[in-house]
Amino acid sequence: MILRRAFRDSVPVLMGYSTMGFAAGVLLAVEGGIAWSPLWAAATSAAFESGPLQYIFVDWVRTSLSIGGVLLVTLCVNFRYALYGLSLIERFKGARLWQKAYLIGTITDETYALQTACKLKGRAYVVYCLALTLFDHLYWICGVTAGAVAGVLAQGAFSQARVEVATKGIDFAMTALFLVILTDQLRERSNRIPALIGFVAAFAACLAFGRANMLMPAVAFIVTAFMGIRRWLDGR
Amino acid sequence: MDDRSLYALTVLLTVGALSYLLRALPFILFGGRTEPPAAVKYVGRVLSPAAIAMLTAYCYAGELLKAAPGTPALAAAAPYLAGVLTVALQLWRRNPLLSIIAGTALYMLLVH
Repeated sequence: MILRRAFRDSVPVLMGYSTMGFAAGVLLAVEGGIAWSPLWAAATSAAFESGPLQYIFVDWVRTSLSIGGVLLVTLCVNFRYALYGLSLIERFKGARLWQKAYLIGTITDETYALQTACKLKGRAYVVYCLALTLFDHLYWICGVTAGAVAGVLAQGAFSQARVEVATKGIDFAMTALFLVILTDQLRERSNRIPALIGFVAAFAACLAFGRANMLMPAVAFIVTAFMGIRRWLDGR
Repeated sequence: MDDRSLYALTVLLTVGALSYLLRALPFILFGGRTEPPAAVKYVGRVLSPAAIAMLTAYCYAGELLKAAPGTPALAAAAPYLAGVLTVALQLWRRNPLLSIIAGTALYMLLVH
């Protein structure tokens, strides 16, 4: 049965999203400095299902970064979701409009990977993708919300300072997440030069514009560099 | 609704909208019969590793700023040591959850 298959395939995502989400939720409750954090946890995790952004969101709420800055970071972090769509257009062709709308809104690295790996076709494939993306979305929302609730309860039981000390460092989880994704990508030889370009661009942009403003110049540098060396790089 | 909540709501709506738009972009542009131009496909392929590398560097730029002067050496080195562990574990066991949890645990340990 398709639903059971989708669930079975999503178990690794369940493990990952619930724990990563939980940590993000705790961070929001403990360090975000916002009232009703579980509510925000649920709403934001549902609205823009994105691990990195969920963590960065805590930073934003705490520092009130300008909305322009917020959108810039969103653009850079989620831009790759725009590219996933390129390989999904064909695959989602059989779906109804509302199904497509939901499938599109919940594209994530893990969901994308599983959907492109599945060999089903036609209507069965659409049902599989819908079930999968819904499961993944729910795992994420529940994880983040549960974390925020836990964070709130912990603060009720212990002093804010103690809770902060105890959870200090949990935000490294975001860096670790990127490192893991990067490591897996670097296994593939054709990804190494692009990654190097990414590092150099980030480094240069940080030096020139400071950490707060580095992402857009870095992306501009990256795209320019890619177009410049395309003949050489695309030949592979 | 206080200022922070209002800000959070604004972020929620704008980021939600932008995220959706980004995800929908290829469907909007190329969902019909047009095939994406070769240049777009090429950038699509190479941008991902570059973006992830950029974001990793961005995280480290932040970690760098977090170490206040006078932090003991071990705590200051924590993001790098933890990072090495994360990468090493990922190369060895290929288990993302293990790598992330171990790296974060080491970081939390060193930072205390």
